[in-house]
This record gives sequence, C-alpha cells and structure tokens, in this order.
Amino acid sequence: MTSNKFLDAKGLACPMPIVRTKKAMNEMEANQVLEIHVTDKGFKNDLTAWTKSTGNELVKAEEEGDVLKFWIKKGE
Amino acid sequence: MLTGMTAKEVAKMVKNKEDLFILDVRNQSDYQDWKIEGEKVSSINVPYFDLLDGVEGVLKQLPTDNKLLVVCAKEGSSKFVAEQLVEAGLQDVSYLEGGMKSWSEHLEQVLVYADEQLKVYQYLRMGKGCLSYMVISGEEALVVDPSRFTDVYMEAAKQEGAKITHIVDSHLHADHISGGKTLADQTGAAYYMMKSEGAVFDFMPFEEHDRIRFAHVDLRVLAVKTPGHTPGSVSFFVNDKLLFSGDTIFVGGLGRPDLGGKVQEWAKDLYDTVYEKIAAMADDVIVLPGHYANLDQEVNAAGYVGAELGAIRAGNELMNQQDKQAFVDQVVANAQTETPPNFEEIIAINRGVDVASPERQQELEIGPNRCALHHTH
Repeated sequence: MTSNKFLDAKGLACPMPIVRTKKAMNEMEANQVLEIHVTDKGFKNDLTAWTKSTGNELVKAEEEGDVLKFWIKKGE
Repeated sequence: MLTGMTAKEVAKMVKNKEDLFILDVRNQSDYQDWKIEGEKVSSINVPYFDLLDGVEGVLKQLPTDNKLLVVCAKEGSSKFVAEQLVEAGLQDVSYLEGGMKSWSEHLEQVLVYADEQLKVYQYLRMGKGCLSYMVISGEEALVVDPSRFTDVYMEAAKQEGAKITHIVDSHLHADHISGGKTLADQTGAAYYMMKSEGAVFDFMPFEEHDRIRFAHVDLRVLAVKTPGHTPGSVSFFVNDKLLFSGDTIFVGGLGRPDLGGKVQEWAKDLYDTVYEKIAAMADDVIVLPGHYANLDQEVNAAGYVGAELGAIRAGNELMNQQDKQAFVDQVVANAQTETPPNFEEIIAINRGVDVASPERQQELEIGPNRCALHHTH
C-alpha cells in the first residue's frame, strides 16, 4: 500500500505514538495516507478508537514480528 | 501536586470504602470491558487521545473536593493527563503507578481464620476477581489456587516460619495463569490437580490422592469423578470447618458451567456435589470460593470474600430441595456464553502444553474475569 508519509514510532510508549500520529496527520491533506510503525501493543485499540472519533480511516493493519504497522487515511 | 498511587493503595481505599474518583483515560472498549470498581469508587471515561489539546473540556466533570486518580493501561498516558490537570489548577491528583497492568496483578493478603492449629490467609486479586489461599499449620503451608505471583506466597510463608509443602489447584483455570507448577518447582512442594484436566507435566493426581494430611491439617478432596466428563471443579474440605469451594460455590451462588461445551454433564456433576456432599455439611462451615463477582456484596465484615455455608444455602434456592432435572435445566439456562479473554491460550499454558514469557503472560491475563461475572443463582 502506498503512503504519503511515514511515522516511525517504534519503541515509544503510550501516549507518544498517538501524539506523533496526531501531529503528523495535522500536516497532511485530506485522503492522504500515513503509514505508522509501532511496538506498543496497546496502540491498536487506541488508534482504532482515535480514528473513529476524529473522522479519519484506518485502512490497513499488519503485524510483522514485534512491529505493528498501520495505514490511516485522513478524513475530508 | 501530582503523586503516584500504587495498586496496593487503591486496593486499601476500595476495601475501606473510601471515596475515590477515577478519570479513566483508556479507550472506551477497554473501559467497558473492565475497570476499577468499588462501593465508593466512581469513574468516568475520557480517552487520553481526546485530551491531547488540553483538559479544559473535562474539568467540569471532575470533583474538586475528592481525591482524583487518573488511570490508563500502563501509566504513561495517565501521567500525561494528570500533569495537565495539575497545571489547570486541580489540587489532589494522582496517577495509578503501572496502570491497569499493575492493578490486574495486585494481591491483597487478608487473614481469614486462625486457631491454635491453623491459620488461613486469603489473597484477593481485585483486578481479576480471583482468590487464592494459604493454609499454615506447624512449619508447613499449603497453597490453594496460586496466581503466577509466586513470590507473594513464598514471602508470606517465610513470615510465618513455614515452608510451602503442598499446592492444590481446584481446576484447570481458564481466566488466569496458574502459579502452581512454578511454585512447586521453586519450593519442591507436591503439586496436585485432577488428572482428567489434561496437564502434561508431572503432578500428583487427586484421582489417587483424595486426602492430604500434614501437621494439624486434614484436607479432603470433594470431586465428582465421572469418567469421560470434564469435571468442573473440585473443592477442598479442611478440618471439617473450611470449604475451599473453587468454582463450585460462590458467596453469591453456584458456579457457572464449564467452558468445554459440556454444560449438561457439568450441571449434573454440580448437582451431585451440592446434594450429596455439601448438603451434609454444617451451617457454620466457612465457604472460601475461588472467585467473586462483586466485591462489595461478597466481602464480609472481617474483610475477606467468604460466608458461612448456612447463609449461602439460605439465600440460594438452587441449593434447597431441588429435583435434579429442574436443577440441571436452571443451571443450563443460566449458563453464560461469554468466555474469559484468551482462555484457550491460558488453558494451554496451565496444562503445560504451551509456554509463555512473563510479558506474554501479563498480556494474556489483562482484562475482565468472565468466570466470575455471572453466577448461577
């Protein structure tokens, strides 16, 4: 999946992955995709809830070893 | 001023029924799944990611006269939010050290019973609703349904000048990882459980050892041995006085059917246990269960979860003069379908079929304890 921006949040603990995600999304245009890599397992539920409450869309999630990968699309 | 509060301190407040207001900043689904509860505990849920731009929105929902505790999964986000609350002028703000993970792991030791020959402690795991016990007599100790925090029991035994020599599991737990095998390895104690539960390591099967005696302790195993069936749970009757009821009887009622889909058989076994064995026991027998569902309702004046058998019998129509089929029908109708989180993996670990790192064990155990959420009344 192609992304417009990449955020490496590996090794960061809550709340930093969401803080960084929010910051990165603020600098993006509608419909652009942000790819995020994290190692904090709790991030998945938090990101799912956060995208819902902010009108963004979680389009894809993958797990590779200890790394969780997400692609989110910025809402209109 | 911002201070950390430990799970132990929270447990004290819950038990002592002190006022506590909790701002839980986890996501909504985690909060709905399980949270810190108590008679004088009130809580609201506002996810930390809704507070990244400031806490002004939540201030008016928070009390100004009560102690405020901010809670999250591990700690980081609660600290992050709590710091902002202090900056916004709130006075008495704490965060939960180690978050819900540490809450899930805290064991609170309470003295249940003591006479010249015997001393019994209960270990309340408030974050899970699980109970474990230690029976001390002379220089020996027996542990019932140990959690994986084996150092707690070893330290307590040491304080009492006793050595752990016997460990019993009332059933193969599906909601938490048993510390039985680890504790047996660490202490050299004999570890007992039902062979029919399918553990693959070496242990002493109750099928061949239905009585354990040491010092002044005489423990009898109450089990309904029905070949081909998964037995739900065995109980332990100590000195004709204390009934460690495992998953058979709770303060609030009878146990829930097992998770293996054999609800009918389980209910019949439960009937036989209740009517053939427990019916013969005296009213003043103290029932000490393996779980509780509602701490405020099930904790007694002495501060432990338990009740006299007579009181439980009186409050439970299922235990009084029921026809077997009616009993089974009722238990089956009340069977709950929700399973504890990760129960298949937890069962595999408790059988010794699977091995998990401490981190993995921690993750598997996080969450609600659905074994105890709904009792069969």
